[in-house]
Amino acid sequence: MTISPDSIIFWQWGAASLNATIVYTWLVMALLTLISWLATRRFSSGTKISRWQNLLEVLVAGIRDQIKQVSHQQPGKYLPFVGTLFLFIAMANLLNVVPGYMAPTGSLSTTTALAICVFVAVPIYGIAYEGPLNYLAHYVRPTLLMLPFNIIGEISRTIALAVRLYGNIMSGTVIVAILLSLTPYFFPVVMQLLGLLTGMIQAYIFAILAMVYIASATSAHAEKQVPAKTENQN
Amino acid sequence: MSIDWITVSAQIVNFLILVWLLKRFLYQPVIRAMDHREQRIAAQLNDAQARELKADNKAQEYQAMARELERTRDDILARAYEKAEQQKRQLLDEARREVTETRENWQRQVQQEKEEFLNNMRNQISSTIQNIARKALGDLANAKLEEQMIISLINRLDSLDRQSQALLQKASQQTSEPVRITSTFKLDPAARDRLTHAIHTHFADGIAVEYDESSELLCGITLTAGEGQLSWNLADYIQRLSQDAEKALSPAAHSETEKE
Repeated sequence: MTISPDSIIFWQWGAASLNATIVYTWLVMALLTLISWLATRRFSSGTKISRWQNLLEVLVAGIRDQIKQVSHQQPGKYLPFVGTLFLFIAMANLLNVVPGYMAPTGSLSTTTALAICVFVAVPIYGIAYEGPLNYLAHYVRPTLLMLPFNIIGEISRTIALAVRLYGNIMSGTVIVAILLSLTPYFFPVVMQLLGLLTGMIQAYIFAILAMVYIASATSAHAEKQVPAKTENQN
Repeated sequence: MSIDWITVSAQIVNFLILVWLLKRFLYQPVIRAMDHREQRIAAQLNDAQARELKADNKAQEYQAMARELERTRDDILARAYEKAEQQKRQLLDEARREVTETRENWQRQVQQEKEEFLNNMRNQISSTIQNIARKALGDLANAKLEEQMIISLINRLDSLDRQSQALLQKASQQTSEPVRITSTFKLDPAARDRLTHAIHTHFADGIAVEYDESSELLCGITLTAGEGQLSWNLADYIQRLSQDAEKALSPAAHSETEKE
């Protein structure tokens, strides 16, 4: 039984191989881009808008609201990164209902790649906000003794991010595969539906966690902003 | 549970490309459209506010105009009322004047008619009385009316008191004109002699006496000496009669009669 789409090789040229993970990733990328392009090419700024535009506006506005709630900051800078994480994982998981399709998120390589992106993005956003010294000062707080634990925490949460997504999606695929061989009719469908739900939840969790990590890197800045805002409100 | 690091790196690149693609084709257009809409709505709201303000101003302006119009209308009405009153007064005055004029004309006419009637009556009565007197005198005393007039004038001259006689004499002395006897009938020489004799007796001997006739006297004989005058005239009686008749014809007498 094939567990990871990495092992399905479509084309091999020396060390480089074109496996199912990459192909299905491209498929997801193509679909997302195509839908976006088709929907946004006739965007209007008036009050009468198409259904597709409405859907996309709701989606984007929803992601922005979530980012704003988590970070207490303007969502503009985080939207492309966090939004793409959510949309990519959600789309990859949703397509699981298509027969013959294998979610690229069921490959540890994909989830690792995404986790590495988050791992890199966090310090980039932190440094962009506070400058390198202020950002690095986070690692020695409250004392220098905490430095190794902070670094371990950073790495472990990245690994947890990757493994959580991979485990959930892979397990779903595996369970469906096992159930198909045991009870071919009813249960696999239910598990597929459950898999859709899990897939959406995982996409949400991954994106929100990424945002939380980024927000914690810029927390000093955010903490300065929040009291100022509450004062203004009072 | 293996990690293919080549796939990992490929997926990192794929993800970064997807980030760019979605930013280019999804986030930017959506956010731009939303921002534009927000701006448009804000602009429309501002526009609406401005228009409302303008409308308010316009409404106030129109209200002021309406008030002004009302005031002007009141003024015009007051002026028109005043003018109408003035015209009414004028018309009333004219009407009153016309009525007064008509009444005066009418009264004048009535007066004239009355006078004409009285004149006619006087003439009628005079001729009737003359006829009656002539006939009565002729029947009863075999005397002529003219003769009786002469006798009556001479009697009056005789019966004048001293004062009146003195006045008559004085008047005849003050003028160079002769004493004049005017009668409505022609005097025969015997009557003239008697009259001349009586005048000479009462005035002065040899005073000039002239005789003439006049129809103005109606029926009678008059002696004129300067400004003094002595006469017997039927006109006096008729005058008195017509005065009585006038009194009887007047509305006061009429109403008194009605009361009775």
